[in-house]
Amino acid sequence: MNYVDCIRFLAKRRTDQLVITSAGNSGQAWWAASRDAEASFYLDASMSLSTMFASGLAFALPEFKIWSFMGDGAFCMNPGMLMVERDMDLPNLTHFLISNRRYGATGNAGLPNQKRNDYAAIARGMGLDRVFSFDSMPALEGGFDTAVLTNAPRYTFVVLEVEPFTDADQKLPHPPFEGPEMKYRFGRHIERITKRNIFGYELKDGHPE
Amino acid sequence: MNKRADVAKQITEEFASSGIKLVATLPDNWINPLIDTIDRDRRFTHIPVNREESAVALCSGAFMGGTGSVALMGASGFMTLIYAITKINYTYEIPVFYVITLRGAVGDPNRHHVSNGLYLRRVIDAIDMPCTIIDRPEEIPLLSRAYRHSRNFYRSTVVALTRDLLR
Repeated sequence: MNYVDCIRFLAKRRTDQLVITSAGNSGQAWWAASRDAEASFYLDASMSLSTMFASGLAFALPEFKIWSFMGDGAFCMNPGMLMVERDMDLPNLTHFLISNRRYGATGNAGLPNQKRNDYAAIARGMGLDRVFSFDSMPALEGGFDTAVLTNAPRYTFVVLEVEPFTDADQKLPHPPFEGPEMKYRFGRHIERITKRNIFGYELKDGHPE
Repeated sequence: MNKRADVAKQITEEFASSGIKLVATLPDNWINPLIDTIDRDRRFTHIPVNREESAVALCSGAFMGGTGSVALMGASGFMTLIYAITKINYTYEIPVFYVITLRGAVGDPNRHHVSNGLYLRRVIDAIDMPCTIIDRPEEIPLLSRAYRHSRNFYRSTVVALTRDLLR
């Protein structure tokens, strides 16, 4: 299915989920589809770490649903993450593996070993049981609610088989945030919706000197 | 209580008093008793990870959710982290608190840690990460000071525990 169409569908079905994107294309596509500058954290060039970042967030905020995107290029760098996610088994976390069989952030360079990679089978082999895979828009539209929007008591892993970005897609703008601005936009949003104090670490010994 | 158990207990008390709830670990012989102590302590959620970079991201996400955490690992694992630290911790200014072993220093009998002896401190210095070395039990309270520093300045910090402390 078309990468950007797929992400636009997710954006339309999103309600109040917090979103963590991965390097390159998923951040571009999510920014194009959502223009979300507060409840999404664009973890650019994270080299396989977006869903572990999301796991830490999901652990800290069990009352909120977290969606996390990861490309298959990143996944292949650290598939062991799935074992950790399986053991954490956070029911508020959905890991979307966006399989475009390319290093999308690196000019669509081909992903080695791509032809025989079966990510859903890998996940099942690691002991995950809420594993879903969609390779067309009709399939995604038909199965999305069962896969993602049910309040399942388990961690969920969703493979989205998409076509690589086109040349035109590659020109989609990246989210226009430098690192600290991204941190504060997202963190202040978390503070507002949770009433937690993310940035005001309170000095144990009292006021600053 | 033997020395290792007592040191492990003191360290966990420092973690708890700092507000740390999540502990991501990878093993090292010197800190395995500490990891076991943490695993049994219900004040913490212990997440054994299988790659050190996963600890960086896990603790970074926990910070963004307002939960205190520590990444506990050996020196060799820490040496694999330069991209993850400079990418996530430095680019976004998200502080992670690292506690590692000071492998390769004088007194380490394991010859295979020669590279850590040569380069660990220099690598930490190269990325300008504040580093505290704890060599004796009476210095263990420096852990909570280093943690507070990381939160006050939004800078990742590392505490290196020596063999004399841990063995």
